Amino acid sequence: MLDLTEFSDSPVEIGSFGSDLDICIGITGDLEGEVIYHFPSETSLNIVKILSGMEFDSIDEFVTSAISEIANIISGNVLTELSKEETNCDLLPPEVKKAEEKDYEIRRACCIVTSVGNVCFDIRLNRAK
Amino acid sequence: MLWKDKYRLGVDVIDAQHKELFMRVDKFLRALRDSTSWEEKVSRVNETLDFMNGYVVEHFRDEEEYQQKIGYPGYKMHKKIHDDMVHYVVKVTTEYKEKGYDEQLMQQFGGRLLAWLINHVAAEDQRISAYARSKGVKSGE
Repeated sequence: MLDLTEFSDSPVEIGSFGSDLDICIGITGDLEGEVIYHFPSETSLNIVKILSGMEFDSIDEFVTSAISEIANIISGNVLTELSKEETNCDLLPPEVKKAEEKDYEIRRACCIVTSVGNVCFDIRLNRAK
Repeated sequence: MLWKDKYRLGVDVIDAQHKELFMRVDKFLRALRDSTSWEEKVSRVNETLDFMNGYVVEHFRDEEEYQQKIGYPGYKMHKKIHDDMVHYVVKVTTEYKEKGYDEQLMQQFGGRLLAWLINHVAAEDQRISAYARSKGVKSGE
């Protein structure tokens, strides 16, 4: 879709994200919690420019909605892979919001460095009882 | 230009429809993102929205018929994806008109549509052509 051929990942300290667009995707089922996608402005605008062929200079409703759908698509693909490992989950609609601080069994954070910019992930999950 | 050659599936009838669909979506998005005021461009946005929506339904139906014709095993799941998108398009278009052509709603719709469509054609629809090739279905069939 975006033809990103060069990317690398790096660990990051939880809570150190300095992004302009935070997309929260709720997870339900065998795992419960959320994944927060942190998109810097540059990354968001580059992605939408590649997809549309048009220039964007600010994070407006259009850009936010497109990036929310990207986060939704990525999350859906991850859940498909998890289901092959017999971990079945569903997604909630994307929301633009800062996550509340709560305790989670599983807490991971990482950043992906790509040719269009960085994207960071804050994974917060509990195993369903 | 929204369409890229890499979105081609190698199935002539589907590729032709995808190109047409991308052209209509492109017209709609360019009208939506035009730098003129909302009052000046709303009628053009509405015209391109209707032009696009009609073709979405028509294309989905034809693509589903093709999937059934070749015995595509992912047909039911793919149809559900199409049905969900049509439901969303109808819901947003109805709300948009009820709210007196709310620009914010249309900008949200445009952004989501852009990302959804490109991923759908570049990922989901590619599975159809991969299956067709595996069954030796010729591109013109």
